[in-house]
Amino acid sequence: MTRVELHHGGASDVGLVREANEDAYLAAPPVFVVADGMGGHDAGDVASRFVVEEFAALAESGITGSDADKAAERVAATFARVQERIAAYEAEQQDAGAVGFNAGTTAVVAVLVEQDDHARWLLANIGDSRIYRYTDTHLEQVSVDHSVVQEMIDAGSITVAEAATHPSRHVITRALGAAASGEADYFLLPLPAAERLLLCSDGISGMIDDQQIADILADTEDPRDAADRLVAAAVRAGGRDNATAVVIDVVGLAHDMPYDSDAERLSLEEKLGALP
Amino acid sequence: MSLTSPTAHAWSYRGGDWYAVFGDNVSVLLPPVQKDTVVSIWALVDGGADFNEILDVLLASGLSRLPGFALVSGGPGPTRLLLRGAEVTATVVADGETVELDGVAGGTWVERSFADPEALSIRLSTAEAADPPASGEDYPILTGLVRAGRIDRPALSSVAAPLDEAPVVAAPVDEAPVVAAPVDEVDAGPVTEMMDAVEEQPVGAPAADPLSDPLPDPLSDPLPDLDAEHSAADDAETPEDWVTPWGLPPGPPPPAPPSPPAPPMPAVPDIPSVPPATDDGDALGDDTQPPGEQPPPPLADQADADESSPADDVPPPPLGIGAWESIGEPANDHDGQTNAEAALTPDAARSGQPVAKLLVSDGQNVLVDRVVLIGRAPEARRFTSSEQPQLITVPSRQHEISSTHVEVRPGTGADHGTAVVTDMGSTNGTVLVQPGLGPEDLKPGIAVQLIPGAIIDLGDGITIQVSRP
Repeated sequence: MTRVELHHGGASDVGLVREANEDAYLAAPPVFVVADGMGGHDAGDVASRFVVEEFAALAESGITGSDADKAAERVAATFARVQERIAAYEAEQQDAGAVGFNAGTTAVVAVLVEQDDHARWLLANIGDSRIYRYTDTHLEQVSVDHSVVQEMIDAGSITVAEAATHPSRHVITRALGAAASGEADYFLLPLPAAERLLLCSDGISGMIDDQQIADILADTEDPRDAADRLVAAAVRAGGRDNATAVVIDVVGLAHDMPYDSDAERLSLEEKLGALP
Repeated sequence: MSLTSPTAHAWSYRGGDWYAVFGDNVSVLLPPVQKDTVVSIWALVDGGADFNEILDVLLASGLSRLPGFALVSGGPGPTRLLLRGAEVTATVVADGETVELDGVAGGTWVERSFADPEALSIRLSTAEAADPPASGEDYPILTGLVRAGRIDRPALSSVAAPLDEAPVVAAPVDEAPVVAAPVDEVDAGPVTEMMDAVEEQPVGAPAADPLSDPLPDPLSDPLPDLDAEHSAADDAETPEDWVTPWGLPPGPPPPAPPSPPAPPMPAVPDIPSVPPATDDGDALGDDTQPPGEQPPPPLADQADADESSPADDVPPPPLGIGAWESIGEPANDHDGQTNAEAALTPDAARSGQPVAKLLVSDGQNVLVDRVVLIGRAPEARRFTSSEQPQLITVPSRQHEISSTHVEVRPGTGADHGTAVVTDMGSTNGTVLVQPGLGPEDLKPGIAVQLIPGAIIDLGDGITIQVSRP
């Protein structure tokens, strides 16, 4: 495989309702991150910033060669450092007299992992920020939200459409933070299966639907423009939350291996009912 | 020994071009085209393999490869008789009745069981059998490998020779078909000679030859020969759809090259008793014992070197574990898994010990110490940081292979210590061939335990051979 190039763009907007932008993103090839902070005061701002800082350090070193088999562990270790820093910060604030301080953040991460002649996306998700892939005019959500409504969808008690308006739709079940817990989900994708990746906070996916996202990704060739347009569309749609998008294009892939037929697009989970 | 139970045990055979393998627990008749198989069958039979084990081995490459054969159980208990093919007929006298059996009658095969047959005769009609079998002379035999056109139990006495008087010499001289190519290679004398008779002789000059010569030869062959059977068959015959394309890419070298011939070769009758203790359990679970230390394979190279058997023409595939594992195993554990599991400590798999090795037909070589996902463009979803799967991309020109086609992972629970394979909902499905069993379609999402020697066929010419790590 010839060495691929990554073209990327990122954008973030505070929206029309919130006073502060607690989202943060990192676009530092081969590492890309979107984090959606939360918590009282400026705590969410801090938590999401820790994510970006720690992953910037990972981007410096990269994950190549023999590390590739342990890429998920490297990302997990980075999450652990974020967790520690949030806990330390929180302890600091409580010592200083702050009450009810409860910082946390979501994170979606994409790392290009190179090993031998293979390059793959290692993706990680914790919380309800999302990773989509857009390939051959088809948009698919790769990550699975760690949220109450996702659990209800999985249990079959509500539909995806109902989830979009469900009162608990912002309640997440996993996050990075002292009071939060839960391990991230990890994914490995071959590059041809993800020619364009979108990482976004729920300020995007909660404001515009998948069809609108797909349309924008289809119509906008430059990833920087695509990220801007996604954020602008979310704000235009109401902007009730901070909106952040990072779009990454894999450029230079030889198309000797066209991607799957529609039949194969069925996710394994749909096909099998559950992951084995 | 030859005098102890001459009637219960002793066979006689008449010249022909089939191969007759006589053993304590089972006797096998194979047609001339099974030349490649017969020496390894002999090794198994002489190693004490029983009826079912031999049947497993015979069926391992598919029933369609076996136009005809016959199996007769020996030892205690009822006599089981299995005949297949139009050329195979038998006459059994039991309870005063005479039963005629025809290998073609049952479709697949004919199997009968007789509590205590008084007489048993199997006739193999062959090309030159135009002259009635009755014309040949009958030679007594207890155990051994000969060419035959008819076998009888109890022995017919057309030749009054005592058992230890070698009919060997007579046979080759009188009847050309008796001595055929493979027998030459293996040194006709010793092989045809009856092992039981040999072993009774005082250890001296005459005994030295048969003991040292014939034994290593037939025993040494199972590995290359069974392989050759696969190779030759795959190359030469119309491949069935699940056939492994051994010949396609340059396969990786054998995982553990057999070490030089093991000097402590036990005396003839001891062979079966040596391997069982160490064979399976240790080999699978314990890395400290390389497979090369096990008795059967070490001899393989040596045999290859000085034989011009068909195996030499075909590069041996990476391994033949499924082929030799049953040598000397306890009869009730022919799949080898029971012992393996018992021998494993629970920690073995948890600590990331590989439970199997996968040899992909495109040349890749994968240790199964965690989840392995194989496909045209494999993806892994929702795993945890400590369980990052290995993604193995295989070529698929016809797109018969799905992007994520199968998963192989270390088993848990009842499958602990072994690898399990799961079809990941592939479009065109996955065919699994376990040693001794027919092809099996994997059901999506249902894990199936893998036995060393199993072959996973993904389609598009890509197969995966499972071996011990």
